[in-house]
Amino acid sequence: MSETLLEAKDLITAYGKIEALKGVSLTVRRGSITCLLGPNGAGKTTLMMTIAGILRARSGSVTFAGSNISSLWPHDIVAAGIALVPENRLVFPSMTVLDNLHAGAYQRRDAEVESDIEKLLQRFPRLKERSGQNAGTLSGGEQQMLAVARALMSRPKLLLMDEPSLGLAPLVVEEIFRIVAELHRDGTSIFLVEQNAHMALKVAHHFYLMEQGKISFSGDPGSLAEDEVIRRAYLGSAT
Amino acid sequence: MLADLVQNTLDGLAAGASYALLAVGFTLIFGVLRRVNLSYGPAIMLGCYAATWVHLNFQAGLLVLALTVVLFSILAGAYVERLCFAPHQDAAWAPSPASRQGSAIAAMVASFALWMQIEEVAMLALPKHLYAFPSLYDGGPLVFGPFTLRVEALVMIAAALAVCALLWRVLYRTRFGLAVRAVIDSAPAAQLAGINVPRVLMQVFALASAIGGLAGYLIAASHEQVTPMLGMWSTLKGLLAMMIGGLGSLPGAIAGGIALGLVEAHSQWFLGPQARDLIAYLLLFVLLAWRPRWMTTRSAS
Repeated sequence: MSETLLEAKDLITAYGKIEALKGVSLTVRRGSITCLLGPNGAGKTTLMMTIAGILRARSGSVTFAGSNISSLWPHDIVAAGIALVPENRLVFPSMTVLDNLHAGAYQRRDAEVESDIEKLLQRFPRLKERSGQNAGTLSGGEQQMLAVARALMSRPKLLLMDEPSLGLAPLVVEEIFRIVAELHRDGTSIFLVEQNAHMALKVAHHFYLMEQGKISFSGDPGSLAEDEVIRRAYLGSAT
Repeated sequence: MLADLVQNTLDGLAAGASYALLAVGFTLIFGVLRRVNLSYGPAIMLGCYAATWVHLNFQAGLLVLALTVVLFSILAGAYVERLCFAPHQDAAWAPSPASRQGSAIAAMVASFALWMQIEEVAMLALPKHLYAFPSLYDGGPLVFGPFTLRVEALVMIAAALAVCALLWRVLYRTRFGLAVRAVIDSAPAAQLAGINVPRVLMQVFALASAIGGLAGYLIAASHEQVTPMLGMWSTLKGLLAMMIGGLGSLPGAIAGGIALGLVEAHSQWFLGPQARDLIAYLLLFVLLAWRPRWMTTRSAS
């Protein structure tokens, strides 16, 4: 298969004495959509925050495009080519949509920032209509689009998405997944955390199942009884 | 009666301009850190003491003195930032409110300890209680009919206007300003956008200390004296003005400073000097109890 873009090895991340990740290893291949499923509290968000450098792993390593990024600061990880669309969106509420996009390009000093903004506004017409409005006045779905667009402004090689469909209406969720598929077609690798296992397995090339801080299962959609995976993704293993 | 009202308003505007400058620096720090820096005033006081020392030993000119105040305020501010605030940065965005609050209190208490330390350093260097500070202008006040206005007051108002205009340009027209606004809005999101948050915090601290230092120089030159009390005075006035204007908003800090100056000037004239601070704190009490809408906004737009 294609080459490895991101590799996590034996990651342990703890909040005080409580280990949220108990030795997580996984890989994301270049050009793929990889999906991480699992019940609430399994440690999915902790893993995303650890890869993005917001949380420090107690041990283990993260390798991205061949170099170890485990000890980098979050802004250096953005510069290396990873952008996280965080859970609950986290836009800049009292800044305009345009300023949110400019902030996403903070690491870049090339001349194409403005034309990238123009392209993204074309892709997200709802944001274009509201480009001068403060992000806090947008609807949940629009804020999610903005969070994705802001992450894309750093021109990431790998886009991490943490529960992009959380709390959104079904039509908006479909739109988000359509965008995920589009971004993939344009060459961005995507590592996606999702509660909505049905939707996620439709777009993913590969998935991991995480339970209680560990990867308990991995495979390709369709390779195994999907119902079992989905059941465990929602409920955890009931053994 | 009417003449008194106008004259008090003029005096109040001048004092208010200095409070507004102090509050703007305070608010910048509070905005990015969500922490109260009690050592803000003492750092300014140290700057004024450094300038006094330079004045006593070298008879330096006004510009050199002003630069000395600003430079030493920045140095003292950086010292406070490294010792009190940088170590607690991560906890400021911790998921649990308890650890956020705990670290906020730790930082505030630490900044109180440095306040005492800075005051001691100043008193060791210049042990007398009171030192004369060179005034900006030796001539008499400007006279407009029945009204007078000191040249220092005019300079203070002009400086406050210039600083506000410059700050607005920096915040809304530069890359650094974009980063500052992003950190004020959401520090975790700023990190994810690729902004070097610890560096922005340090730069904001330096900027706020420079604005405070400028205010401190103008205040010392207008009072024509410095005492160790200048530290506490600056922290209190800045904090009071910031709170009246609704924690964390820059236009609010400016409005709060001017309101405080006006209230002080009028209550001093009509009710006597003892009533001045009483009325100012009463105003704060009433505002906190009433909580009008502007006091609940938290953004620094």
